[in-house]
Amino acid sequence: MIWEVFRQEKPGKYHQHCGNVHAPDRDMALMFAQIQHGRRMQTNSLWVVPRDEIGEVDTEDAKFGGTTDKAYRWAMTYNNVDASFAAEVEESEDEQREAAKKREAAKKQEEAQS
Amino acid sequence: MDLDTVKARAGPRQFSPKDDMPEEYRKAATRMIQFHANSEVMGGYLDKAFTRMAPSLDRKLACTAKTQDEIGHAQLLYRAAETLGVKTREEMLDELERGDGKFLNCFHYPVSSWYEAPMIDFFVDGGAMRRQATLKSTSWEPYAHAMDKVCFEEGFHVKHGEDILRELMRSSKANQERTQEVFDTWWPRILQFFGPMNSESTHNDFAQQVGLKTVSNSELRQAFLNAYIPKAEKYGLEIPDEPRIEYDEENGQYRVVEEDLDWDEFWTIAKNDYEGSYEQIGSRRQRHEAVSWVREAMDGWEQSSAGTTPQAAD
Repeated sequence: MIWEVFRQEKPGKYHQHCGNVHAPDRDMALMFAQIQHGRRMQTNSLWVVPRDEIGEVDTEDAKFGGTTDKAYRWAMTYNNVDASFAAEVEESEDEQREAAKKREAAKKQEEAQS
Repeated sequence: MDLDTVKARAGPRQFSPKDDMPEEYRKAATRMIQFHANSEVMGGYLDKAFTRMAPSLDRKLACTAKTQDEIGHAQLLYRAAETLGVKTREEMLDELERGDGKFLNCFHYPVSSWYEAPMIDFFVDGGAMRRQATLKSTSWEPYAHAMDKVCFEEGFHVKHGEDILRELMRSSKANQERTQEVFDTWWPRILQFFGPMNSESTHNDFAQQVGLKTVSNSELRQAFLNAYIPKAEKYGLEIPDEPRIEYDEENGQYRVVEEDLDWDEFWTIAKNDYEGSYEQIGSRRQRHEAVSWVREAMDGWEQSSAGTTPQAAD
């Protein structure tokens, strides 16, 4: 049986998928997860989930609605106005810009791999 | 944990569902988060009206995205409130539907024109965002978590709102005049957004002692006025003579003359008893009922495959 493993780096952060383990039951899966995925990397907590329990939207379906230009969704698009008058608006825009960069980098990496 | 321990330990993200919290804390936190969640729902429904009024496809897309965000924020917040174990999400939604759920004063006024879009999307959202940014350090961790995601998205709402204001105030004279007219109407409501001036609200002291709130309403109002009055003026909006606002050069503080605002209206709204309250709550209930077939279909689907379907995540 295959168990997907999710690792949380620090308290308060999201659990992120980091790989999987083969194990006959939950206890063994937790033990293997700890050995294979918890020891080398900084770990605060681990989750194991039976693969069958995971739902997926596949590439084909994920494209639905995903190919539209969604620039209207981001603060950076509205550059006729300046966010610097309010720290919290500026911070939000910085976070969005950072997230956009990460998306761009992930996309490039994906393209390089294929 | 007893109340004294809570007060001593109070700090950013100090408490989570792992802690055994006293009833007073859980009730106060539920009241606050439920109010916040209700406001996201009612704000989202109010905003929805602007999609039809929006003058271009880009604006329509942005308005739809914003409405979607607000309803998503409500879901996050009901989840955060649920973790306190006082009320379930269904109970809170029922209360809102019955007209018992409380929400922000500005969402009790129906909107009828595009000129009102920047009033909500720039000024009201700007005020709300200022408050939400301080709630990232609230003591209830699930609430702070929800704020991380909410604040991430809000920057788009406020900048889009300002962009609409800019567009209107740089267009025809007629547009500028109409924008000024609705600003005159909305300005007192926006000033009341942070509650009564001199006397702090009843729940405020306790909420600050246990770290649910980190900044008082007066401080938030000051910060808001300092940032947004210059913005209004920049685009050529005139701040109405009444309510009177006095600026103290020495300490850089604004003082709003409290008697100039309509507090009867404010407290009627606080009881959901204003004519706009009935209209907004009623129209939301109708729209919610109109799509009950979707929820029923989904329930039916879940029951037909009972046992294998995990709880839906939202």
